[in-house]
Amino acid sequence: MARKSGTATDKRLAFEREALPHLDAIYTAALRLARNADDANDLAQETILRAYRFFDQFTPGSNCRAWMLTILYNNFRNSYRRGARERPADSADEFSGEIDANSLDADQSRINPEELLSSRMTGQRIELALAALPDEFREALILVDVQELNYQEVADVLGVPLGTVKSRVSRGRALMRRALCKLDRARGKTGT
Amino acid sequence: MDCREYISEYLAGHADGELAPLARRAGDEHVAGCPICRAQLIENRALKAMVRQSAGIVKAPADLKARIRTALDQADRANDAPWDTRLAAFAAMPRRIGERLRAPIVWAPAGIAAAIAIALMIAIGSVNHRRAAAIPPVPQFELAIARYHDFQREFVPNVPAEAYSDGDSTLYAWVMNRDPVRRVAADEAQTDAFDDIARSYRSANMPDDLFDLTQAGYEIAGGRVDRMADGRPVTYTLYTGRAGQIVSLCFSDPTMAAPLHAVNWLGMRSFYEYKGYSICLSFYPTGHFISILISRMPVTQLMRDIAAADLSGISR
Repeated sequence: MARKSGTATDKRLAFEREALPHLDAIYTAALRLARNADDANDLAQETILRAYRFFDQFTPGSNCRAWMLTILYNNFRNSYRRGARERPADSADEFSGEIDANSLDADQSRINPEELLSSRMTGQRIELALAALPDEFREALILVDVQELNYQEVADVLGVPLGTVKSRVSRGRALMRRALCKLDRARGKTGT
Repeated sequence: MDCREYISEYLAGHADGELAPLARRAGDEHVAGCPICRAQLIENRALKAMVRQSAGIVKAPADLKARIRTALDQADRANDAPWDTRLAAFAAMPRRIGERLRAPIVWAPAGIAAAIAIALMIAIGSVNHRRAAAIPPVPQFELAIARYHDFQREFVPNVPAEAYSDGDSTLYAWVMNRDPVRRVAADEAQTDAFDDIARSYRSANMPDDLFDLTQAGYEIAGGRVDRMADGRPVTYTLYTGRAGQIVSLCFSDPTMAAPLHAVNWLGMRSFYEYKGYSICLSFYPTGHFISILISRMPVTQLMRDIAAADLSGISR
């Protein structure tokens, strides 16, 4: 049931309380999508204002961050995804090719979880692997791991069925793991 | 359950805590007896933690926060201001003629204020018809007039949903129905045509914010996506109603600025009487798209009907 209309002051107070705490999360997602600070600022601002405009439609008790991310992604699809962004790999095969292009040999070895959490597994390498992921896998992983949405919320944000989210998360992690193994191998850091 | 099934069907959900109770129990039992899958689960959780740590939440810049606060304040002020204040604000608007409107703009309060201001301004006859004769030639308006004439002779829609049934159309259709903002519009429009045309425009990478003129007694007759002589895509939407027809054109034009001598301004929309036509010019909040609505009806009628569309967009 949507929120009933109250006074403008009530609306603003409720928005400040429930929506604005997610501004950093919205900005983070906007940066990921737009890939430059200027567009990210505009995208985040438009998302916040649109959320304010339609705040009566937000269902109290549901995940406000997920609701705002849905607006953000739709806004991005409608207004920003017009060739302005650097194109990432389109498919899992192409992704693998991009990783291989970084002088990485095919590798089926496992990641050592302790190594994964060690200082050697730097954020830079995680970012490298994430950036090269096909869009759909990266978006699913970011929404689950960084934005901490559940699978159903991710499905709502991305506008895909729940099963697709499960598949993307599973395949995305497998691709990440493979990429990190290759990076380790290339740098002579894999002990297995 | 074998290892292949666990890894393909359970592993990610297990690491994310997304398994239903029965499935989770089955997953727990499998990893308890399988060191390889147990290691995979630990690895998945570690990878999840590293992604969160490395690609975590970034703090929004202070200037962005300030901009947002200012925009929200403006929205509230527009909503809270007494009517005489709103009228005074609108009376002052012609001073902005010639400025390029800059996005983003809060649409809802503008819509409310616009509707109220229109009613009052029309009542006191404040629309300045004398300005019309002074408008110098505007190529974009000339294009609108030419298309208006073309479409009076024949308008053949070319954007039913099935015209864009390749690739993403299923996804877009689904998104359209789940988008909280779009759903707001669709609830009132109650027409498949509205969604179909909007979806087709979106598939062509064009703005899909159709005017909902149903409250003003119009029906949407159809839409077209074409290309201009220089290759720019352009969308045309035809609305038909008791007061006549309205043709909407939308295309990208980074050089366009609002011409001088508008008869009135309503938020981000400016209205003109131009060579016997009534024209509404709007700038999109994002990108360089402009929208031109053109009709033969009196400009006051066009303003009233567009205000109704704006108002219907925020009253649902």
